[in-house]
Amino acid sequence: MKKLLLVSLLVLAMMLFVGGVASANGGPHGDYTATTDACAGCHRAHTASSDNLLMADSTYDLCVSCHGGSATGANTNVDDGVFVSGRGGDEGTSTADGAALLGGGFVNYGGAAVSSTHDPTGVDNMAWGAGNERGVLAAISENLDCASCHDPHGSPNYRIIKEEINGVSVSVAQSDEGASKNYGVVSWSAQQSNVCGACHNPYQHATADTTTGTFTHAVDVTYGGSTTFTDGNGDTVSVDLASGYIVCQTCHFPHGTSASMTGYAAGAGPAGDSALLRKDNRGVCQACHQK
Amino acid sequence: MSLTTQSTPPPDLNSAEKRRRRLLLMVLAGLSALLLFVLFLFARYLNQPEPLPELLPVPVEVNYPPHYLLSIYDVDGPIGVAVSPEGDRIYVTEMRGERLIKIFDKEGVFLDSFSPPRTTQGERSPVYIATDSRGRVYVTDRLQHAIFVYDRDGNYLDTILSPTLTLSEYVAKHTKTAPTPGSFSYDIFEEEVDCKDAEGGDLTLPRPDYALWAPLGIRFDSHDRMLLTDVTEDAHSVRVVPSDVVMSPDWLDFDLSAMQFGASGQGDGQFLFPNSAVDDAQGRVIVTDGNNGRLSVWDDQGAFLFHFGSGSGDGALSLPRGEAIDGRDRLHVVDAVGQNIKVYDFSGPEPAFLFAFGSMGVRDAQFNYPNDIALDDSGRLYVTDRENNRIQVWSY
Ligand code: HEC
Ligand code: HEC
Ligand code: HEC
Ligand code: HEC
Ligand code: HEC
Ligand code: HEC
Repeated sequence: MKKLLLVSLLVLAMMLFVGGVASANGGPHGDYTATTDACAGCHRAHTASSDNLLMADSTYDLCVSCHGGSATGANTNVDDGVFVSGRGGDEGTSTADGAALLGGGFVNYGGAAVSSTHDPTGVDNMAWGAGNERGVLAAISENLDCASCHDPHGSPNYRIIKEEINGVSVSVAQSDEGASKNYGVVSWSAQQSNVCGACHNPYQHATADTTTGTFTHAVDVTYGGSTTFTDGNGDTVSVDLASGYIVCQTCHFPHGTSASMTGYAAGAGPAGDSALLRKDNRGVCQACHQK
Repeated sequence: MSLTTQSTPPPDLNSAEKRRRRLLLMVLAGLSALLLFVLFLFARYLNQPEPLPELLPVPVEVNYPPHYLLSIYDVDGPIGVAVSPEGDRIYVTEMRGERLIKIFDKEGVFLDSFSPPRTTQGERSPVYIATDSRGRVYVTDRLQHAIFVYDRDGNYLDTILSPTLTLSEYVAKHTKTAPTPGSFSYDIFEEEVDCKDAEGGDLTLPRPDYALWAPLGIRFDSHDRMLLTDVTEDAHSVRVVPSDVVMSPDWLDFDLSAMQFGASGQGDGQFLFPNSAVDDAQGRVIVTDGNNGRLSVWDDQGAFLFHFGSGSGDGALSLPRGEAIDGRDRLHVVDAVGQNIKVYDFSGPEPAFLFAFGSMGVRDAQFNYPNDIALDDSGRLYVTDRENNRIQVWSY
């Protein structure tokens, strides 16, 4: 019965989709037309054996069929956090081959094994701060997987971020990248923190907040100073802003990082690992507070 | 009183009447038996789905689906599979874990493993794999943008860096001698080539200058031609490499750009992530057009003929990946999202769907994102069952 309902839902949705989808997001996501049969690439209406008529018991398994290390159906290899287009020479304005993905990686990043990730395999439903207390794990509405953050059917949000995450409606402006996207250059808008705030609500504060007894760095505030620091070895460390704003992704990757934590940084913070941070140790802090 | 009445003998029936009654009884019994029989026949008829077919001459070749034999474990996210020309070895590439290429014997006993020289796990991504008639093993690598070539034991021989450049050719240009296999290697991330000079001393060369490409699917046909798919962004295509290029004694003047066809897109003659190409007895090239969910068929001159297998219904494909064709032109296509293998008859002018085997699951004979298939000459089929971390062996 549930299956029947889903079949009719699918048919209905199909009709709606064919009627016109708001956004074209590339690949099999969105931009459905009457002549393409893009649903079948992920759904089989009559032979499906799992929820949502998906040919998958795990969304992650489906996504990595194209986006995995073998990149057999996409150029964005999210396992290794790299763009593999094979296109040499004139890249124009879109992503160059070998560019590191802005989301980070789930298995490797920058050729090294990751040190922390959002686990996308659907086994985890406890998020830091979900119960409104920072540094404490609490349940979110579903198990975390790729479709917790992305809508595989396309969305008006940047990088097909879902319009509702964990029951919270999320608006992330679609920055116009033109026809060719650039997965190697930051194109988030100032609203990007809304993605993270949907599950880690108390971390999203525009002032240094201490209300729940712990301290949090201000986000969604503008910053006009330097974001580049040259360390003792002459290596430069820099972070990115979104239209001048500090957002969660200024310091964190949404997918995973291979940053290494040594000394004090190794055990700092409740997560006890590299906490999806973009830079080794507290490199993310030095980029702005050049000390 | 009543006793006397009871003891009164029944009215005497004459023997003729008796016989008549017995006959009637017998006829009645016979009739009901007949009725039962007719009912039985009727029930049988009703139970039969179709009227009995007329006897046909027994076809010379019947198309039975294959049956499941065994599984080979010890692989982590297997993605590509190939069989040696003798059928005694199975080669498998891994998407996860150490991302090695593993060798098994026919019964699934692990023999050895290998990987591209000077790479760590995060620097390689072996995908599709094939063997030529000499037993050399070719592996496409998505992160290295190259085809690595090994001998049958997995010893490194050479790298096809681009359609017109092999690593041995690059080294030979600098050292003026043909290098011996194993004496040179290239680290694409360090951007340097290590090799030996004419005197046998160590030599480091700068990175060769060539345009990146993206070889993906690789197959050899029975004439030792290499059929290659190329997913270079915005230029998805198929290349057919003549056997004299592949089989030449050395690869110092390598050029596989002879025949190339197709473009990126969803229209006729266009591909979105073609995953493999094979040819049939008529010389047609059949391409699994992955993200377009169809097969794309081309003639032997590289002219587009038609698409096949998209839409819905029996034989419609979701996400076609690896494919293999047998001696009777039966094309086996792995449908990664359909979670089965679909078999088509390509012996006539119009291809026809024959049957599919496998379903989604974790038990024997069930698949969880299968990706590639290889056939041997004895009717065995090897399928990479990616999320079940095994190779399934089936047999006709
Ligand atoms: C890129 C893969 C992909 C494609 C292509 C795709 N879907 Fe989905 N679909 C999914 C996933 C993954 C889910 C489960 C989402 C979740 O877990 O929240 C899903 C869920 C659904 C659902 C259940 C309701 C929901 O949104 O959770 C419907 C209905 C649906 N899809 C319809 C379609 C139709 C119609 C098409 C073609 C126009 C299509 N899908 C194409 C991946 C895909
Ligand atoms: C916690 C939320 C979250 C989860 C879980 C998540 N993503 Fe993302 N993903 C993002 C955000 C945010 C971006 C935008 C990154 C940027 O542009 O800075 C992104 C970007 C991407 C991109 C574009 C390339 C890039 O890295 O910038 C792809 C492709 C992608 N995600 C696929 C996936 C797949 C596949 C999974 C599951 C294995 C997944 N994502 C899980 C939040 C998420
Ligand atoms: C059939 C192959 C296929 C599958 C399955 C698939 N994708 Fe994609 N996806 C693509 C392609 C192709 C693109 C275009 C960019 C590229 O080449 O990588 C893309 C782009 C994306 C992007 C970037 C969108 C943007 O705005 O640029 C995200 C995010 C993404 N996919 C997430 C997912 C998630 C999550 C899943 C699983 C639910 C999934 N994909 C499954 C092929 C696929
Ligand atoms: C200025 C850099 C910076 C910004 C901006 C930032 N974080 Fe963090 N975050 C960190 C550091 C550093 C850690 C490591 C643990 C620590 O020091 O507290 C961390 C840790 C975390 C953790 C792990 C649990 C914990 O409490 O340690 C979560 C969850 C988190 N951040 C979420 C967010 C969210 C959500 C945003 C945006 C609303 C955000 N962060 C913005 C630097 C930052
Ligand atoms: C759909 C809910 C969801 C969203 C959206 C989300 N997270 Fe998380 N996050 C989780 C869960 C669940 C965990 C804990 C389990 C895990 O690590 O997968 C987590 C863990 C973390 C951690 C600790 C990782 C560690 O080291 O163990 C950090 C840091 C973090 N998130 C930051 C972010 C940032 C930054 C964003 C926005 C880009 C974000 N999260 C968006 C659910 C979410
Ligand atoms: C993108 C630049 C940027 C980065 C990266 C950054 N900060 Fe800041 N920091 C600021 C700005 C801007 C303020 C002033 C915020 C305000 O308006 O309250 C600030 C304020 C502070 C303060 C003073 C808090 C207060 O308001 O009293 C501390 C402490 C601090 N940052 C620590 C850190 C640490 C630790 C890190 C690394 C986890 C870090 N910062 C990373 C820009 C940055």
